[in-house]
Amino acid sequence: MIKRKLTLIMENKPGALVRVVGLFHQRGYNIESLHVDPVDDFTPYRFIEEQLETKFKENEISRLTIQTLVSDSLMRQILRQLNKLIDVIAVSNEETTYLKGVLLDENLL
Amino acid sequence: MGTKLKLSGADMLMHALHDEGVELIFGYPGGAALHIYDAIFRQDKIEHILVRHEQGATHAADGYARSTGKPGVVLVTSGPGATNAITGIATAFMDSIPMVVISGQVASHLIGTDAFQETDMIGISRPVVKHSYCVFDANEIPKIVKEAFHVATSGRPGPVVIDIPKDMTAPDNLFEYEYPKKANIRSYNPPIEPDENQIERAVTELMNAKRPVIYAGGGAIASNAEEELFRLNEILDAPVTNTLMGLGIYPATHHRFLGMLGMHGTYQANMAMHNADLIIAIGARFDDRITNNPSKFSPGAKVIHFDVDHSSVSKIIEANIAVFGQVKNSLSAIIKLLETKLDQYNKDTLQPWHDQIKNWKSSHGLNYELYKDESDENPILPQAVVQHVYNITEGKAYVTSDVGQHQMFAAQYYHFDEPRKWINSGSMGTMGFGLPAAMGVKFAFPNEEVLCITGEGSIQMCIQELSTCLQYNLPIKIININNEALGMVKQWQDMNYGGRHSQSTYQNSLPDFVKLAESYGHVGIKVEKNSELKSALEKAFSMKDRLVFVDVYVDPEEHVYPMLIANHSLEDMWLSKDKKT
Repeated sequence: MIKRKLTLIMENKPGALVRVVGLFHQRGYNIESLHVDPVDDFTPYRFIEEQLETKFKENEISRLTIQTLVSDSLMRQILRQLNKLIDVIAVSNEETTYLKGVLLDENLL
Repeated sequence: MGTKLKLSGADMLMHALHDEGVELIFGYPGGAALHIYDAIFRQDKIEHILVRHEQGATHAADGYARSTGKPGVVLVTSGPGATNAITGIATAFMDSIPMVVISGQVASHLIGTDAFQETDMIGISRPVVKHSYCVFDANEIPKIVKEAFHVATSGRPGPVVIDIPKDMTAPDNLFEYEYPKKANIRSYNPPIEPDENQIERAVTELMNAKRPVIYAGGGAIASNAEEELFRLNEILDAPVTNTLMGLGIYPATHHRFLGMLGMHGTYQANMAMHNADLIIAIGARFDDRITNNPSKFSPGAKVIHFDVDHSSVSKIIEANIAVFGQVKNSLSAIIKLLETKLDQYNKDTLQPWHDQIKNWKSSHGLNYELYKDESDENPILPQAVVQHVYNITEGKAYVTSDVGQHQMFAAQYYHFDEPRKWINSGSMGTMGFGLPAAMGVKFAFPNEEVLCITGEGSIQMCIQELSTCLQYNLPIKIININNEALGMVKQWQDMNYGGRHSQSTYQNSLPDFVKLAESYGHVGIKVEKNSELKSALEKAFSMKDRLVFVDVYVDPEEHVYPMLIANHSLEDMWLSKDKKT
């Protein structure tokens, strides 16, 4: 078990955060710390806009960072489960990024 | 186009459902849903079916969805209406069934005040829905309905909840109505077409396997992939097994069909899976009822896993090749590539494998002619009941079931040649599912034979729906396999708890099901002797326009076999009460 950091970009919608937190509880994963901010500078996320053919607007998306204690194999499962949540746009750990079903081999968030 | 229609939130909801193609809603009215119910009264395009309990509404919508492939729609009120629907929503969620559940909610200004019949439906349903919406702006109702149906039916299907506070449907607030042509959810795009590279890798493995097994589940049915699966195996000629959820996706009477696998799977199916060198998993997710102990699962097999859901792959059993996409599309791509290489593939290399399977089948396969030796000295065998039903209905009926021994007997002894005809609560194992699910199927297919194989335990969990069946004249046939006990619980107690039948029998408190059926206006028939069984069933099925409740008293000592031995491999099975592999 290693402490790992996850980063999520998600829609800033009512109930979105509780879906993420609830998923950790539901699947038996542990949250060590959690931090959430609205995103006001979209510059680092232009690649998401391009990939999803969208334009982010003010107050539309949030950035969530979660520290969790997990094994490597569970890490992949957590990423995939998070990626499946409808309000989650992208999720990454240190090595990979899931962008709505597209797996990218680096942490882009 | 002229001026846009101006409608209330409730009327917009009905228009949106109609524009979405909805024909039937299963529901139950109550305070927070009354504006919507009034809108239902004032239209004639969508039929509303009044159930007797909200759980019945969800299971009926579920049965409708499983049999048609179209999403089931449910309408309930807030508070107890919403919470009563949860079991049925969870049932649909666990089996990936498309469903849209609309729940009334207390008015916006009352939310959070512990108002009458207030409950946090979004919160309570969250772990058992694919997604959920709460309407905060009535203007958004058409868009939310469009999105909800899109989410429920695409990718890996599942239930979606729309929670609507009462003020959002108020009759005096009018809005311009327009139904969106397309749902556009930027953060949701389930895979459809597979990756070509993975298809090439998969084809190489398929062509080189010596002991392949096709293992197909509910995902193949959800993707309507029966033709593709059939064509694929015309080429491969591999043995095929189906999960409990997958029965019917490959014809059960085909000579390459092994039967169901897993906990109560056939001997040959479990042996083939254990000894395979290649497992071709198609819309199946290596559930714990399939794998037994994952660390002992099929030690020599490579795994190709076709699935639409990333999180289902390599969750329990590591896949060597993962093909993401709609299973139908992925299989089409496989077939297309295989067809260019037919000269390099020789079916005959599988002959030793087929011979081995034939041996397994002949040594410990199920006896499909149990019904032939019946005498009144012996109690009725539950398996023989299913065999009679299968023969009388010529294998063509829609069969729903409840949960327990009767469910396994039905899965083992009714042979489904087509998908969407076997309707059961696989993953959730919800007792009470069978009767309301059969109603949903009968509404979808009024001219087809629809029967519910149930037990005296399960049927009592939604027995009130017999009243719904009378109101809407649903001539379902209910086959109650009555062993006067919670059979599967009792079986486990026999096998693992020294025969201590803790709370699994009713101490002579069962109702007279014949009178019960009659009091609901239906026909009841009681069967206690082998000599009466066939004629009673024939009589029941001859009454085309009546619901008939056939209460069959069976051997209470009978167990379901084969049965996997817990924490072992798929090779380790109980074959009878005193024989294991």
